[in-house]
Amino acid sequence: MAAPELAQTDPEGIEGVRMTWLNWPRSKVEASKCVIPIAASIQPIRPHVDLQILPYPPLRCKTCSAVLNPFCRVDFTALIWICPFCFQRNHFPQHYSSISQTNVPAELYPNFPSIEYLIPNYQNPQNYNPAVASSPIYLFVLDTCMIEEELEFAKSALKRAIGMLPDNAMVGFISYGTQVQVHELGFSEMSKVYVFRGSKELSRDQVLEQLGLGVSGGRRAGPGIQKGGAGPSPTAGAGPNTGINRFLLPASECEYTLNSLLDELATDQWPVAPGNRALRCTGVALSVAAGLLGASTAGTGARIIGLVGGPCTEGPGAIVSKDLSDPVRSHKDLDKDAAPFFKKAVHFFDELGKQLVSQGHVLDVFASALDQVGIAEMKVAIEKTGGLVVLAESFGHSVFKDSFKRIFEDGEQSLGLSFNGTLEINCSKDIKVQGIIGPCTSLEKKGPAVASTVIGQGILQLGRWSNPQLYIQFLTSYQSPDGQMRLRVTTVTRRWVDSTLGNEDLIQGFDQEVAAVVMARLASYKMEMEEGFDATRWLDRNLIRLCSKFGDYRKDDPASFTLNPCFSLFPQFMFNLRRSQFVQVFNNSPDETAYFRILLNRETISNAAVMIQPSLISYAFNSLPAPALLDVQSIAADRILLLDSYFSVVIFHGMTIAQWRNMGYQNQPEHQGFALLLQAPHDDAQLIIRDRFPVPRLVVCDQHGSQARFLLAKLNPSATYSNAHEMMNSGSDVIFTDDAFDDCILVGYGQGRGVCGFDVIGEKFREEENQLAMRNLQRAKKAAVLFKILSFFPRISSDVGESGASTVATLIVLLVLAITSTAAPLDTEGGDGGFGREKNERDECFLLCVNEKLCACDVRVAEQRSICCQNYCLEKCGSGEVHSCGDLPKKPICP
Amino acid sequence: MATPGGPRPGNFPPNYNPNALANNMQNLQINQPNQQQSGNLGGSAPRPPNTTPFGQQPPPFTGIRPGPPPPFTGIRPGPPPPGVFPRGPVPPNAPAQTTLPPNMVSTRPTGPPSVSQPPPIVSRPPPPGVLPSQIGGPAAPSVSGPGPRPGSVSSSPRTAGPPSPTHMSASGPVSNGPPIFAPGMAQSGPQFPPSMGGMPRPSVRPPQQPHVLLSRPSSQPPQVRPGFAGPPTGASSAMGQPAPPFSAPAQNMPPPPGSSPFSAPVPGTLQSSSSPYGMQTWPPQAQQVAPPPIPGPMQQQPRMFGMPPGGPPLPNQSMALNQTGQSKIDPNQIPRLTPSSAVILHETRQGNQANPPPPATSDYIVKDNGNCSPRYMRCTMNQIPCTVDLLSTSAMQLALLVQPLALPHPSEEPIHVVDFGESGPVRCSRCKGYINPFMKFIDQGRRFICNLCGFTDETPRDYHCNLGPDGRRRDADERPELCRGTVEFVATKEYMVRDPMPAVFFFLIDVSMNAIQTGATAAACSAINQVIADLPEGPRTMVGIATFDSTIHFYNLKRALQQPLMLVVPDVQDVYTPLESDVVVPLAECRQHLELLLESIPTMFQSNRIADSAFGAAVKAAFLAMKSTGGKLLVFQSVLPSAGLGSLSAREAEGRSNISAGEKEAHKLLQPADKALKTMAIEFAEYQVCVDLFITTQTYVDIASLSVIPRITGGQVYYYYPFSALSDPAKLYNDLRWNVIRPQGFEAVMRVRCSQGIQVQEYSGNFCRRIPTDVDLPAIDCDKTIMVSLKHDDKLQEGTECAFQCALLYTTVHGQRRIRVSTLSLPCTNMLSNLFRSADLDTQFACITKQVASEIPSAPLAQVRDQATSICVNILYSYRKFCATVSSSGQLILPEALKLLPLYTLALMKSTGLRSEGRIDDRSFWINHVSPLPTPLIIPLVYPRMIAIHDLDEKELDDSTIPSPIPLSSEHITDEGIYLLENGEDCLICVGNSVQSSSLQQLFGISSVEEISSQFTLQQYDNPLSKKLNAIVNEIRRQRCSYLRLKFCKKGDPSGMTFFSHMVEDKTQSGLSYVEYLVHIHRQIQSKMA
Repeated sequence: MAAPELAQTDPEGIEGVRMTWLNWPRSKVEASKCVIPIAASIQPIRPHVDLQILPYPPLRCKTCSAVLNPFCRVDFTALIWICPFCFQRNHFPQHYSSISQTNVPAELYPNFPSIEYLIPNYQNPQNYNPAVASSPIYLFVLDTCMIEEELEFAKSALKRAIGMLPDNAMVGFISYGTQVQVHELGFSEMSKVYVFRGSKELSRDQVLEQLGLGVSGGRRAGPGIQKGGAGPSPTAGAGPNTGINRFLLPASECEYTLNSLLDELATDQWPVAPGNRALRCTGVALSVAAGLLGASTAGTGARIIGLVGGPCTEGPGAIVSKDLSDPVRSHKDLDKDAAPFFKKAVHFFDELGKQLVSQGHVLDVFASALDQVGIAEMKVAIEKTGGLVVLAESFGHSVFKDSFKRIFEDGEQSLGLSFNGTLEINCSKDIKVQGIIGPCTSLEKKGPAVASTVIGQGILQLGRWSNPQLYIQFLTSYQSPDGQMRLRVTTVTRRWVDSTLGNEDLIQGFDQEVAAVVMARLASYKMEMEEGFDATRWLDRNLIRLCSKFGDYRKDDPASFTLNPCFSLFPQFMFNLRRSQFVQVFNNSPDETAYFRILLNRETISNAAVMIQPSLISYAFNSLPAPALLDVQSIAADRILLLDSYFSVVIFHGMTIAQWRNMGYQNQPEHQGFALLLQAPHDDAQLIIRDRFPVPRLVVCDQHGSQARFLLAKLNPSATYSNAHEMMNSGSDVIFTDDAFDDCILVGYGQGRGVCGFDVIGEKFREEENQLAMRNLQRAKKAAVLFKILSFFPRISSDVGESGASTVATLIVLLVLAITSTAAPLDTEGGDGGFGREKNERDECFLLCVNEKLCACDVRVAEQRSICCQNYCLEKCGSGEVHSCGDLPKKPICP
Repeated sequence: MATPGGPRPGNFPPNYNPNALANNMQNLQINQPNQQQSGNLGGSAPRPPNTTPFGQQPPPFTGIRPGPPPPFTGIRPGPPPPGVFPRGPVPPNAPAQTTLPPNMVSTRPTGPPSVSQPPPIVSRPPPPGVLPSQIGGPAAPSVSGPGPRPGSVSSSPRTAGPPSPTHMSASGPVSNGPPIFAPGMAQSGPQFPPSMGGMPRPSVRPPQQPHVLLSRPSSQPPQVRPGFAGPPTGASSAMGQPAPPFSAPAQNMPPPPGSSPFSAPVPGTLQSSSSPYGMQTWPPQAQQVAPPPIPGPMQQQPRMFGMPPGGPPLPNQSMALNQTGQSKIDPNQIPRLTPSSAVILHETRQGNQANPPPPATSDYIVKDNGNCSPRYMRCTMNQIPCTVDLLSTSAMQLALLVQPLALPHPSEEPIHVVDFGESGPVRCSRCKGYINPFMKFIDQGRRFICNLCGFTDETPRDYHCNLGPDGRRRDADERPELCRGTVEFVATKEYMVRDPMPAVFFFLIDVSMNAIQTGATAAACSAINQVIADLPEGPRTMVGIATFDSTIHFYNLKRALQQPLMLVVPDVQDVYTPLESDVVVPLAECRQHLELLLESIPTMFQSNRIADSAFGAAVKAAFLAMKSTGGKLLVFQSVLPSAGLGSLSAREAEGRSNISAGEKEAHKLLQPADKALKTMAIEFAEYQVCVDLFITTQTYVDIASLSVIPRITGGQVYYYYPFSALSDPAKLYNDLRWNVIRPQGFEAVMRVRCSQGIQVQEYSGNFCRRIPTDVDLPAIDCDKTIMVSLKHDDKLQEGTECAFQCALLYTTVHGQRRIRVSTLSLPCTNMLSNLFRSADLDTQFACITKQVASEIPSAPLAQVRDQATSICVNILYSYRKFCATVSSSGQLILPEALKLLPLYTLALMKSTGLRSEGRIDDRSFWINHVSPLPTPLIIPLVYPRMIAIHDLDEKELDDSTIPSPIPLSSEHITDEGIYLLENGEDCLICVGNSVQSSSLQQLFGISSVEEISSQFTLQQYDNPLSKKLNAIVNEIRRQRCSYLRLKFCKKGDPSGMTFFSHMVEDKTQSGLSYVEYLVHIHRQIQSKMA
């Protein structure tokens, strides 16, 4: 397999799989020396034009149950196929008897490494009729503890959404405040709600019993549940759980009821004492919703769509006390273990997540509040169920409105909102799955292909290799939006290489983007999971190790250091990752951090790369839009910049442009060109926004305007106070580095056993500003390649398949794979999970922080920083709540 | 019978037609087999019952009074005269009304001692001593001559018998007559219609009150009067303005300017009405009193109190039984109840001495002139023993029965409301007793001595008044608190811990499968729907409603909503209220929603298949919803609570299956199953929530456990077993209606204070007690009585008086905070004979019944029965030993005042509560029912009233609607007869096997006994017999404040057994006959004597 070209428009291809390494080192030791773990990113149900859908069930291997695939050896005469995973010989069944060399079924076509089977409904194989498939369920959970205006926004969004749902979609509605109100939509005499107390945790069985849905043991896969479902009405098929139809009605039947109900719905009636937060029982509301769905027919896809207007203060899942003088926890509180509610709430949502996973249901949260609402705590439940999250400031804001609309916009069909997927992975003997980081949950099945060391949602470890090729097969079964059960089978093969003979094969097979995303996800994951994990240091060290393994340099000569072009972007990614919101959490609230990470973990490689390293396009007269250096120097008075940092899209007008625009030149016919120039970034921004979920915040700003910080925060502060006089060229800007993470320059020099270390030179840096400028230029050249890609990214994305919004529907899973080898068996238990084992390689790398200014030992600077932080916080939430500002970075390790 | 309702078909006079009511109710949900007519009275009327009193009105009235009969009773079918209502709570003009009859004494002809020696004793029936020879000769020397007796006012007329006219004239009938009342009349006529519709409404009340009151007499007296012969009768009936001028004038002229309008008419009135008193009592006696000895003394008895101690020998003694001579006893001659249905006029004090009250069951009109009316408070004995030894020797108990809000007679003067302004009522600074007529002012009025604790207080400066020559304050007669036994003070802020609560009514309805299918839910909803109109009008009246099965359904009735919103509380283990507000809303804002909702509830749950009922949880949840205000929670429950908080098991069945344990521990089933409900109830009481329970069931519901809640919260249990959708809705509606419209108060606290030497030992009744001295009543109404047992802690002085003061602090339905203070001052005595002479049989027996009832759950039945007998025996023994002068051991000697004690005790032992057969629930209900029951209702409960109705048209009802009762013995029941028996709750109609079919046809519209089904509703047909029967039933309803469950009984089938089980004088399997019982008691006394 050839290394993918960076310019390739569709790196995932029909497979939907990208790996950090295309060619795999043979042994575990070798693998660990590669620094970047072997990992695969897959989009299990990525839509693709060429995807074949076979209307019959797949053939499975007798012993390992792998599915027949193009890599199987087939004996057409004997009608036998040999499984590439376990080498078992399998006979073709009767109906395959007509196959021959010239008459090959689709699943054996090499062009179709991914193929999809339509699975007859396993619950009722006899009369399977795709038309009767169960309808998806949408259970809306609306917070009513908000000001009238916000509630009106939320209500109108809901009404619109319900109007857009397909007629057969089942709809339920729960509102909550101090108490939870489950609306019985099927009750015709009057409006009827079941009221649950917000302060009491309820098990699913309690919820069901109290809703009069009884506790029926055979809810899962009970035969006959679908019986009698021949009628078109989805209510007919509910079998023993008819009770549920009191609460869930087809959208067509309940739209009127719901609309009038929403009209009458007022904000929460329970009084709020002055100085207190409203009592809001988000936790109980969600668990009641989950419980209610527990009564739905097994295997029916369902989403709980929560609209949350503030922090949960009542009952389980509370994140803060009701006393307004207690602020919502900050990162600092979490670090100091000073967030009394946090652990309990996380535990609660963890359990809730497990329940939802076992039911196969999804939790989406749309939060809109100036303060935090507890996404950090809910994250676990949302991620495990693969739900969507949108964080906005108001239900009236486009970030919410448009994102929310997009879910339902063209009917869920085109959204590809599918349900209930399970991913099964078969691999060659020498590989095991070590874990998955992404919006999914491990089924905690133990099998030969599951490693004992777990990363993320734990599961690959390697055995010995015995075949020059290795195979991995991904089996994804899921419920499509129209209710059909499908099985996507993707089989990939990779080559083993003997890295002891040279790095060339490995290097050529390195996918920088994937690697960067892998590192970002791993770092985020470790930050959450490991106490006192120092992400910056961990990233630095891994980068140093990578460079020392794959870089070329002469000992003691930093200038001689070069990296293969296949690695050329990677340091840049790492640099930006270090500065990104994923690693530098202290300027964000825990909710924002959680939000960012959820998206990082869900988005495609290309989108995730944008999050890590924003793209910057510059628009100027007399030139085409061009990628610009992600640096302050890119700012010029006569340019417009378009920054896409994924979460926000910033259009930045240079000073001159802004003045011209303010004078209204664009309206004068003789300045048509200027009008076009002004319009161009807007058009591009719309393209980006159109294809993205959640909808990014669009910021239009001018140089020196207050909103300009959205851009400046992302730029490399090559011009600072210290060098401003030198760097100042026309129209450029100065970034006050006090509030941005400062630059680190990596300089390698030889040391010890030919391993390279990097020193971050501080003083030297200042002395050699010219050198710095050179370096930046070089980086800019490397980045230009990347930018090119990124700048096209949105369009690329929309070109992929027919569904521009498909990224919403797909699930990006990062597989961390582990290789085992008998050659040098290493203890894989504990430690870092099989890679990045610094201890074993005492490579005397060390790191020096250039930015002594940030060193916590410098009290004066620290104070300034905290003041700055405070201002930021004040501005940001506007609520007067000062996020505690001790959010200083940890003290860097100074040698 | 006139048919004022003109247009209506002749056969349906305006008179109350229960069926009309039933029809109305049933139109809603129930299938009513014979739809007679939905005849409502006029437009106003889903509630026809109004008519009761007027059914009996003499024709002349009809002319005068257009349209349907008077309102009052209509409002409450059975119950008391309506005139009462307005008065009870708030006579608005009262405070201003300082006009009290100036000293009555002077004007009253019969005043104090002067007139006192009415010789006429002559006319009295043979002296008591004269016993029929069969019984064994004269038992005791005849009673005292009249001589020494300081004749009381009433005695003279009474003894005078017929002479009443004289009195009338003496008192100036002329002035009393038409001229005086004419104005009132004129007004009363037109007034009727309005008062009828809006009677209970406050709006109507203030201005019209006087008229209302006035009008009342008009309806009342006719009943009373008929017996009168001669001019007075004619005059009064013709006028429609029955004489009882008594109260009329006073009320008619609201605040007579400082005048004494009273003086002139009053005495007259008194006179005139007192004459009937005397007259009336007599005739029945004369007729009935077969056993000569007994009645006589009885009648005399009361009059003798004034007697100087050591006066003539006791008047009593009755009957001697020859042990061996049982056969010789003529059952007709043994002591029997001889009720008089005529109105008695009673003055609480005469000659500055307490006047012993008339029997509790009789019909009397009270003139409060110092002591409170016996309706509010009566003592077991009307003289107080000076020492504890004397009391224990008598074996009687000293107790008060307090009924602070009792319904007054419509002709009585309303209670005065006294407003002391910001300073609040004058009170003793030591014992906190309230100012009352017995506080003695000294030192030129500058100080006063508390009659309760003896402390001398300074008179507040602005309350000072000089004393007159008689030592009384000069203003004593103008100040109600100084001349009335009962007054109501306006409470100041000091008496409030919060603003007076609004009137809150929360209805909680069982909608579980059973309730729906038996029609109980429909009946409840329809009853509530009709009752809404009767709830106190005003912005402060709040209502809420909830239904429940295994979950609880609240309804948001806020007007803003398009339709009611149902809020289900599914967690029945740990309940909560689903909304902070809006569950309980002002009535004015939700009337439409409420009606809509009540109409739809039965259909909404029509197909409910949930059999479980989460009663405890529902009650708790409703409580939480009304916790902030408190109020009345009316619960309609149909099955055994089987789910959630406080659920119960069918332990009756368990008890049965485990017979050995069941027999031994049977009484355990009468105790609450656990503490859960009790704990809840105490919490309810704390937040002023009163729970009334309407049990409409066909199965065991464990009343023993459920009743704890009403009992502690001052509520009441209504029991409809077996519930019939056909006949019970009418009663349910009437009970509910009476429940909400009767005079009542909320968030009340009551305390009884006694003079030094006596203290309160215990209170018992339906209330919650948190501190020993006070009784907390989340709600109290006119039907609730509290028994206060007293004990000595010191000696009392002979010749002094001992006072009891009951103070009830409460909030009226209209949100005014009031203190109702009733004071009773009784003479102290050292003479045992005085104790017996002054014993109050009804009160004593009520106390015994209550006491025994409370024992039932904690002791085996046999033991309780023995206890009842031994109470009786001990009293009689004490009398026999210390007071009776005859020594023949062969004679059973009964004190005159207590001569019925054995009969009542026997009846008690055969009552539902003490019968060994019978359902557990019935017994529980009985126990619970007795606890707050007022004296006048306890007697009939135990010893029901039976009358013959087959010969109604033959008998000329001489004096009252209701024919004289027949003793409860099957000897008096013939196969040809139809009998009606009522005990205040049930009304059984027994039809003999050979009854003339014409009577059946006339009375019930059927031709033979076979057609009778036990459930039926009484209808009125166009024949005199039927009309009379209806009139009787309505009169009984009015008297009992209860609608009565009507049941048919046929001789010879199970229903007949029920009927005959009430024949307490018969010998039954489990009990002795009356005669046998007397012998039994006699033996026991003899053995004690020996």
